[in-house]
Amino acid sequence: MKMTRKTIIYSTLAAVLSFLTCLSSAQSVKPATGDLTIAFAAEATTLDPVKYSAGVDTYFIGQMFEQLVRPDPSQKRINWLAESWNVVESNGKAVIDVRIRKGVKFHNGDPLTSRDFEFSQKRLADAKQSRWSHLQASVERFEVIDDHHFKIHFKEGDGSYIADNLHLWAMPKAYFEKVGEEGFAKSPVGTGPWKFVSRSIKEELKLEAFDDYWNKTIRPTVKNLTIKVIPEDLTRVAAFKTGAVDWIDAVPPAMIAEFKKLPGVKTATVVSGNNLFIDFAEHVPNSPWQDVRVRLAAAHAVDVDAIVKAVLFDQGERYVQVGKGGVGYDPSLKPYPYDLNKARDLLRQAGYPRGFDTNCYNLTTPREPNVKEMGEAVFAYLTAAGIRCKVQGLEYGAWINLGRRGRNGPPEMDGVISWMWGQGVPGDPGTPWAGHLHSFVAGKGWGSYSYANDPELDGMIEEAKRTMEPSKRELILQRIGKLKHERVLGGLTTYRPLVTIAWRDKVDYTPWPWPGFWRNLQQIGLKQ
Amino acid sequence: MIRFMLRRIGLGGVSIVGASIVIFVISRLTGDPIVLLLPVDAPPAVIEEMRRTMGLDLPLWRQYLIFAQHAILGDFGNSYRWQTPALDLVLQRLPATILLACAGLLFSISLAVPLGILSAVYRGSWIDTFGKGFAMLGQSMPGFWVGLLMILVFSVHLGWLPAFGHGTAKHLVMPAIALGWYPVAAQTRIVRSAMLDVLDSDYIRMGRSLGTPEWLLVCKYAFRNAAIPLVTMLGVYFAAMLGGAFVVEVVFAWPGLGRTVVEAVFARDFPVVQAGVLLTSVLFVTANLLVDLSYGVIDPRIRHAD
Repeated sequence: MKMTRKTIIYSTLAAVLSFLTCLSSAQSVKPATGDLTIAFAAEATTLDPVKYSAGVDTYFIGQMFEQLVRPDPSQKRINWLAESWNVVESNGKAVIDVRIRKGVKFHNGDPLTSRDFEFSQKRLADAKQSRWSHLQASVERFEVIDDHHFKIHFKEGDGSYIADNLHLWAMPKAYFEKVGEEGFAKSPVGTGPWKFVSRSIKEELKLEAFDDYWNKTIRPTVKNLTIKVIPEDLTRVAAFKTGAVDWIDAVPPAMIAEFKKLPGVKTATVVSGNNLFIDFAEHVPNSPWQDVRVRLAAAHAVDVDAIVKAVLFDQGERYVQVGKGGVGYDPSLKPYPYDLNKARDLLRQAGYPRGFDTNCYNLTTPREPNVKEMGEAVFAYLTAAGIRCKVQGLEYGAWINLGRRGRNGPPEMDGVISWMWGQGVPGDPGTPWAGHLHSFVAGKGWGSYSYANDPELDGMIEEAKRTMEPSKRELILQRIGKLKHERVLGGLTTYRPLVTIAWRDKVDYTPWPWPGFWRNLQQIGLKQ
Repeated sequence: MIRFMLRRIGLGGVSIVGASIVIFVISRLTGDPIVLLLPVDAPPAVIEEMRRTMGLDLPLWRQYLIFAQHAILGDFGNSYRWQTPALDLVLQRLPATILLACAGLLFSISLAVPLGILSAVYRGSWIDTFGKGFAMLGQSMPGFWVGLLMILVFSVHLGWLPAFGHGTAKHLVMPAIALGWYPVAAQTRIVRSAMLDVLDSDYIRMGRSLGTPEWLLVCKYAFRNAAIPLVTMLGVYFAAMLGGAFVVEVVFAWPGLGRTVVEAVFARDFPVVQAGVLLTSVLFVTANLLVDLSYGVIDPRIRHAD
């Protein structure tokens, strides 16, 4: 390439300017100082980003590791380690073209490059290491263009890549190869704002602010952070009130009003990424639930608003198919109004003038606040309408086992079940609907927890799975939501739990969503 | 005595092997751990692959033999959930639970013994009534409730004791009381009734007639004999403390074994359940062995009879 004198002068000037800008911004960042102790109600089981399986597992990972894309405090998806990315087509196949930020370092000082993401994708796809290998099945190959530019080639379109923030976590290839899987799990190294110091399972995680963190503006300002694990609600509250900790998550619903009035205490109430619903056994031959009028009757029989108010102390946000702000959210969809007479009338029309008996399965493990009591209230409403519930409480393991399709032998979900499926924040129902709305297809991964069987919806869900273009996904998911609502399929959507976080005035804190649904401590420090 | 000891140790070994078989089979009856380890949308092929990797596709008897071979060498496998060696996880937490159980037991005995003795000596008096009432109060209140109440009073309102955690003697006070108060009633009753029997015996009456001071009669001659029923039960109480520690550990965020094992049961984390229960069995058997051996020390007649 021929360079003119003008080009050289401009390039030199630009380089000097950018160097000065970097220097000034680096100098303007005050080093983090002080100590802060906070408490979580639950803890992650792993510190390895390919080994997590539930939302709670990202509580710790999310402090140390980062992804290409993430939601910001307003739940808008923003580029994070990705400087830019777009979906292109090559030979009729989808390709995600990603350029990553320059100047990002791992906690051990290694620079972040495309090779690290290539390694991350490889680990994620390896079923022996990863819990998420199935989500890499559509990837054909990973192409490194240069240190900060790579492409992911797909065999077929995969909307889950878009829905789940481009899946990949920045993991240090060289460090991992040096210390091995066990060493990495014991002493994880990422690019996140917090460096790992130590961990005592069921007790605490100690972290230290990463001085060389790439983001000079959005970062922690406290040096040492201790996250205590205090599962008992009242003990966590006592720890906060006695000043042993200065920040807690999951303020018990019954105490939120009191917390909001406490002097010197701030609170934030945010919507969790979990979506609760009541599902019906439409798959059982000759079941009343195969009749849409029965499902509609159940939908009109439950006063969800009253349950949210009385049982959850208003700590739930009603949603219809997709939560506010989620992909496919449709404000025109309204909740089924509570109408006991209509419910009874619909049952009569369906041939059940005296109602019928059914098994109703309730989750008793507190995966969400007051979830057991909420289930009991729903079943009481159903019984009042004539759908007489024989309530059976199940702990988490038995509950998830009962819900799963394609097992060998009994028990089988044969009535009503109180269920939930996280759509994340801001939320994308693509994967959840593939699991609990698409009809069950043995061995293919479709409908693993689904009792619905609607070929039209199946086709649309498969189309959504293939679609990577965000605006097209939005439209498809809206169409599915509408149909799902009309036919009362894939469950009666009820509410998304709200989470209240409390912190003392001396703490400077901004809640960031995902990962760990608002437990991300991206911006926390002590007020000067 | 040595023959007696060897016999007890042999029986203890048989109990531990029996416990290992029972816990191995029962834990597997609780359900499939794989669905809890993978994301809900994991397809069947991935589930089967994981089952194979973890050896859960083998017949149960083969799984047990593999487990037993490794367990003898101290290898209980990796925790499914925490992905660290199960024995390490259990051993890290065991000292905290033993400390809590010992403190709870110490608290209960140090209350039950004086209360039982005083209730027997001053039978029918207000001391007897107070002793029984205080002990019954502990039995009537669940440990978690006592714990939460103490947190409210001594941590939140008075600020005397830390609400959670461990590490100092102060941290131990409330968990020990919450754990140890419950058995005080039963222990007091044991001591009281044993003391009443002994105080009515001929040799005590003889002691009195010879002018031996009452305190010496009660504390040295009567209590030594009356202690045998309580000592017999100590092994059982210690095991009960280990089992009951779970609730107290949750309330006080105490990093003990009980909480770890109970959560492992719900998570179908077989290696941790097996390691935890087997180690607890060893502790239980050892405690009972020590109790058996202590008879000889307390009552030489037992030693000589053997």
